[in-house]
Amino acid sequence: MASSTDRPPAVELRDITKRFGDVVANDGVDFTLEQGEVHALLGENGSGKTTLMSVLYGLYDKDAGTISIDGDVREFDSPRDAMDASVGMIHQHFQLVEPMTVLQNVVLGHEPTENGLVDEAAAREDVAAISDRYDFDVAQHLDTPIRDLDLGVRQRVEIVKSLYRGAEILVLDEPTAVLTPQEVEGLFDVMEELTAAGRSLVFITHKLGEAIEAADRITVLRDGEAVGTVSADDTSEQELARMMVGREVLFDREPRETTPGDPVFEAEKLRVRGDRGLERVRNVGFTVREGEILGIAGVQGNGQTELVEALTGLRSVESGTVRFHDEDVTTASRRRRIEAGIAYVPEDRHTQGLVLDYDLVRNALLGNQTIEPFAERSFIDWSAVRDHAESIVEEYDVQPPNPNAEAASLSGGNQQKFIVGREIEHDPDVMVASHPTRGVDIGSIEFIHDRLLDLRDAGLAIVFVSSKLAEIQKLSDRIAVMYEGEFVDTVDPDDVTEEELGLLMAGHDREADVDSTAVTADDGGGGDETPADETEPPASEDAPDGGAQS
Amino acid sequence: MSDSDSGRARGVLDRAAAGMLEASVLQRLAIATASTVAALAVGLLVVAAAGYDPAVFLRNVFEGAFGDSNAIARTLKFTSIFVLTGVSVAIAFRAGVFNIGVQGQFVVGGFATVISILWFAPMLPEGAVGGVALMVLGTLAAIVAGGAYAAFPGALKAYAGANEIITTIMLNFIAVGVVGFLVEGPFRGEGQRAPNTDRIPEYVELPQLVYDVPDFSILGLVVALVVVAVVAVVMARTGFGYDMVTSGHQEAAATYSGVDAKRTIVKTMTFSGMVAGVAGAVFAIMMQGYYSDPGGVATYGFDAIAVSLLAANNPLGVVPAGLLFGGLDSAGTHMRINSDVPVQLIDGIVGLVVLFVAAPELFRMAAERTGLGGEKR
Repeated sequence: MASSTDRPPAVELRDITKRFGDVVANDGVDFTLEQGEVHALLGENGSGKTTLMSVLYGLYDKDAGTISIDGDVREFDSPRDAMDASVGMIHQHFQLVEPMTVLQNVVLGHEPTENGLVDEAAAREDVAAISDRYDFDVAQHLDTPIRDLDLGVRQRVEIVKSLYRGAEILVLDEPTAVLTPQEVEGLFDVMEELTAAGRSLVFITHKLGEAIEAADRITVLRDGEAVGTVSADDTSEQELARMMVGREVLFDREPRETTPGDPVFEAEKLRVRGDRGLERVRNVGFTVREGEILGIAGVQGNGQTELVEALTGLRSVESGTVRFHDEDVTTASRRRRIEAGIAYVPEDRHTQGLVLDYDLVRNALLGNQTIEPFAERSFIDWSAVRDHAESIVEEYDVQPPNPNAEAASLSGGNQQKFIVGREIEHDPDVMVASHPTRGVDIGSIEFIHDRLLDLRDAGLAIVFVSSKLAEIQKLSDRIAVMYEGEFVDTVDPDDVTEEELGLLMAGHDREADVDSTAVTADDGGGGDETPADETEPPASEDAPDGGAQS
Repeated sequence: MSDSDSGRARGVLDRAAAGMLEASVLQRLAIATASTVAALAVGLLVVAAAGYDPAVFLRNVFEGAFGDSNAIARTLKFTSIFVLTGVSVAIAFRAGVFNIGVQGQFVVGGFATVISILWFAPMLPEGAVGGVALMVLGTLAAIVAGGAYAAFPGALKAYAGANEIITTIMLNFIAVGVVGFLVEGPFRGEGQRAPNTDRIPEYVELPQLVYDVPDFSILGLVVALVVVAVVAVVMARTGFGYDMVTSGHQEAAATYSGVDAKRTIVKTMTFSGMVAGVAGAVFAIMMQGYYSDPGGVATYGFDAIAVSLLAANNPLGVVPAGLLFGGLDSAGTHMRINSDVPVQLIDGIVGLVVLFVAAPELFRMAAERTGLGGEKR
């Protein structure tokens, strides 16, 4: 760590609060970036990392708090102000003009001019100098259009662009998300070069290993609050995982009154590829029974999204089978699965779960286009759809209680309650709920939890994906932990400690003294959880794969 | 441009885009009306600058469009075609598919109508019954031909990722070229000096009920309005329409709801092309009575894009928008003969109207696609 004591911190954020409606995205967050360090900002999707950095970069107005750059308090109304204060941000989606060359992209908007004309020679010289200084390997691509370059090179072009504009402080927003492992190593080299030259970097990520490898210090955000800051040398993946997913007192698990029935939803040896063709789900299998909740825990990005999409018919599988009752639905279309009774509360309510500029009536039809009584042959019975929307709004306490309201005008919690209501009212046999409480206010979280438990008691088979440990443990009858596309283990929530879950989520097997065979879910006992102390050594031996099938 | 300028320009654009994205149907209607008035005002300035009397010009425009029953018939004739081609464009645009190939589908459809009528005519009795049967057959042929000619670029987009804007534009040229070749050679009518097909039999025509002009029947307009009604019902009241419109609004949500995105693209294009085919059939039966080199045929399929944009891609809105364009075309035809204002000036003014009315809606659609006006919540 290269912190210098003679200069004030590069960035000091004090007590930053940012609200979106009734959701608090940042709640009194403190964050300090020392001169010349790489500081990782670690947290789940929706934990507030990007919001915090967008406040720093002038994209959002903060509701409270102060920003100091090099010891001076600053107010940023726009990214331009931030850039003037030498803060640069590299977004996850590159802001490059694809048909234009590297040189044109770097100088765009800041072209050196001579007599009103772009001085290309000067531009070329400046950009090449930056590239050479940091050993970026960009100089030989100056005249190549962006679209012909690999993502790794494009990212370096973005960095050069920021440096060209005089950035001393660089925020990298999930820079590794789109890169191959080799490109990630290349990026880490670049980051080292930058800090060696005195630049200070914020590295946003949700990957534990990368944070430890690339950063000097790590600050963990959870639910909009800074959980703590640790030195990368003194921490472990387990500790970070635990900080990310929470260690609050666990909810009391209410005793089960029903026992699970017949198997309803099964997956066997499922392999699924992600968007970039990489295998994201590896040999996953499970069985969910009537009246049972299977929780899928794991740090975000370990294949949960791809698994859920394969189960719900939104993504085709590479191999393996998905069975619903006794029917093989592996290749059944999404619509076929909806009609069969597989409901789905999607991970992303804004792009998938709702059409934002439709009112709630038209959103009530989403997914119901072929379901009676809304569809009569090819026609839609809009009065039936309206009645349906009204009953969802009433029964699921959607505010404002107005079915003519545009979906975009509702708060996140109310949008989510509407989706949950719509999916439950399908009268499904299976419910797949993916992060149903993400970015949702506390009251709505409780409401959604209660509805899911009601469904379980009514005999549904539920697959519940979340990265929040507390709710996973509260709701699940069994917890499957997913790491790098595999179910590393399936555990009984009454029978597992936070430490063990933290280990599993970081990709380690549990300790040998814990039974790692599959656990059946007929145990109705209440929780007798004791907070475990922190004496757990990391499991080093390669124990055989935990059985994930019940 | 300095930094602060570009930042400010972006800010202005963002605000304008946000305004357009949030505008209600009524506001958009007001914008379209204001645009039309503004275009005419600028057009009159140009007329005055060119040394003509704008008042006389304006009177000529009204006379040309609505001055007597001949003018009205001419206006309604063009309106019928603009409404049909406009609806065809609107179907695709609503679903987020950019069918720029309505002209090609219109040409292929019209040609198919003439050829099939000529082919079936000897097999059917002459007179009213045969005439109706032939018109039905000819229109069906146009629907099939137009639909197929649009399904092709739809399939290319869905299954091969080919940009439909490019493929449909190219297919326009191909349609015009191939049909032009066919009427020049293989299908040229006997003894025809011009590159035309034979005329379809005289009894194959829409009866004159109101206006006594050879190339317009009120039934042509009725056909157009019936098609509008059918399309409006399909869009608003069927599962297929909901799937289509939802795909256009938010594709990920449509996919989540069980819509097969690829098949919906092909279906949308086919539906759009079928309506363009009907336009071709009405043009061929009602207006021409034969088919000529489509290189010389008016560009109804291109103007239809402006008609649809003016109507905010709403099938019902296409009716008044089609009427405006029909009136302008009719006025232009009239003034070519009866006014000393040069033809180019009239075309230029029609162009101004297109520019003024299409630009706001085009801007709105572009903003929706590019995220101008702020990210969606």
